[in-house]
Amino acid sequence: MIQMKNVSKIYLNGARALVDVNLKIDKGEFVFLVGPSGAGKSTIIKLFYRDETPTRGQVQINGKNLVRMKDREVPYLRRSIGVIFQDFKLLPNKTVFENVAFALEVIGVSKSEVKTRTRVTLDLVGLAGKEKSFPHELSGGEQQRVCVARAIINNPALLVADEPTGNLDPETAWGIMDLLYNINKRGTTVVMATHARNIVDKMQKRVIAIESGRVARDEEKGGYGYDA
Amino acid sequence: MTLNSTLYVLRETGHSMKRNPWLSIASVLTVMVSLVILGFSVFFLANASNMAKSFESQLEIATFVQSSATPAQVQALQSQIKTMPGVASVTLVTKEQALVDFGKTMGGSQSSLVTDLGGTNPFPDKLTVKATDPKTVEALANKVSALAGVDKVRYGQGYVDKLLEFTQWLRWIGLGVVVAFGIAAIVLISINVKMNVFSRRREIQIMKLVGASNSFVRWPFLIEGLALGLVGGALAAGIVGVGYNWITNYVQSTLTFLPVVQNMLLFRQVTVGLLLVGMAMGAIGSGVSLQKFLRNS
Repeated sequence: MIQMKNVSKIYLNGARALVDVNLKIDKGEFVFLVGPSGAGKSTIIKLFYRDETPTRGQVQINGKNLVRMKDREVPYLRRSIGVIFQDFKLLPNKTVFENVAFALEVIGVSKSEVKTRTRVTLDLVGLAGKEKSFPHELSGGEQQRVCVARAIINNPALLVADEPTGNLDPETAWGIMDLLYNINKRGTTVVMATHARNIVDKMQKRVIAIESGRVARDEEKGGYGYDA
Repeated sequence: MTLNSTLYVLRETGHSMKRNPWLSIASVLTVMVSLVILGFSVFFLANASNMAKSFESQLEIATFVQSSATPAQVQALQSQIKTMPGVASVTLVTKEQALVDFGKTMGGSQSSLVTDLGGTNPFPDKLTVKATDPKTVEALANKVSALAGVDKVRYGQGYVDKLLEFTQWLRWIGLGVVVAFGIAAIVLISINVKMNVFSRRREIQIMKLVGASNSFVRWPFLIEGLALGLVGGALAAGIVGVGYNWITNYVQSTLTFLPVVQNMLLFRQVTVGLLLVGMAMGAIGSGVSLQKFLRNS
């Protein structure tokens, strides 16, 4: 599914975000990326949906080389990857329905199909009845559900999430984790960067720890591993 | 782009204009004001060069023929001057005609005027020579005065140079005004478009993150720019059209000595031009400033 070979990333300001990272994530896996702030977790996530390109090394997703990929191919990559953000990134002047439907409008799905698929997905994330609300009328947890709905509506093979529970209270966070767990159960690969110790410890999934831009630890059914 | 995407883009364009009415109005007004100024400056240029031309066309060489010349000799002289290079026209004003003209300015009858003047006509025959190029008037006048049978020439010696200098300046100022306001219009409109795009950069970023292609993001902006530019251009064309008409009528009835351009062709060219410039600037401006954001996301 995902393969990173000798990936280094140095930002224009000289910051070394990643140093010679090698990673392999298989189809259907659920992976936590943990590590201190600034260790390079977000950079890895951004490489996956090609918001960034590596300075050195190769990144492959589903056999596609993201380094050699042309700019005009990027939209197609992004349609096959669902992305969940810590700050939700919803369009403020579009309703819940329009925000989720947007991912379908972009690829030119017919109006009637947009309608049915959006309703089904909103049902799935537990937002039935909120279609006409605007993002600012929703709680943080609800906004994150909208973001999740938008990320999964195209049935992506890969779902990446950058601290999806970072802005949520523990209970709401678990609601989102349930969603991700179920999406993963249906076969979608999930990669999630997080600081949420209790979630990582309880889920017992693969944990990859990133420190100073290097893979410091990679274990199946791991724990968060850092002292509070 | 599929049909579904195209329909979505069109709906989106309408939505976005409804959602940001003030931004849309501000854009329309910016385009309008810039183009009104530009339109008037084009008319200013047209009038400046028209005025210059009309001043220059009044330059002529009054050639007075020696009083001893017979009418046949005068006519020979006339055709001789006509064949000289750089001569546009030669008009003969006979001494009889000159007397009649003079009489008219005096308001008396012709016969009494001759009597008053002592029974003789004091006017010489006059050949009015016009040059094709006003700059050559002086040289031409010198050549004409050297011809046999010519008594003397008058062409506003000493005053021609100053007039030509003045008309040249008039043209340059007209052109400078058009260029200056043209640049100002481009700057104003492009700043406005940039603000428009900038205020929606988050929207653009999100669109790109969920897999929108560049053209999918670009089209609503282009259509919106085109529409707003068209409305601004149309308003500007209307204001310039009505305003210029009013001004020319006013000038013609009060300052009758000022030559004003009332050219339907120019009028249509300017108004249609404003429309097209408004549309083009709106669309191209949106496209160019959007390109920067698209490349970075």
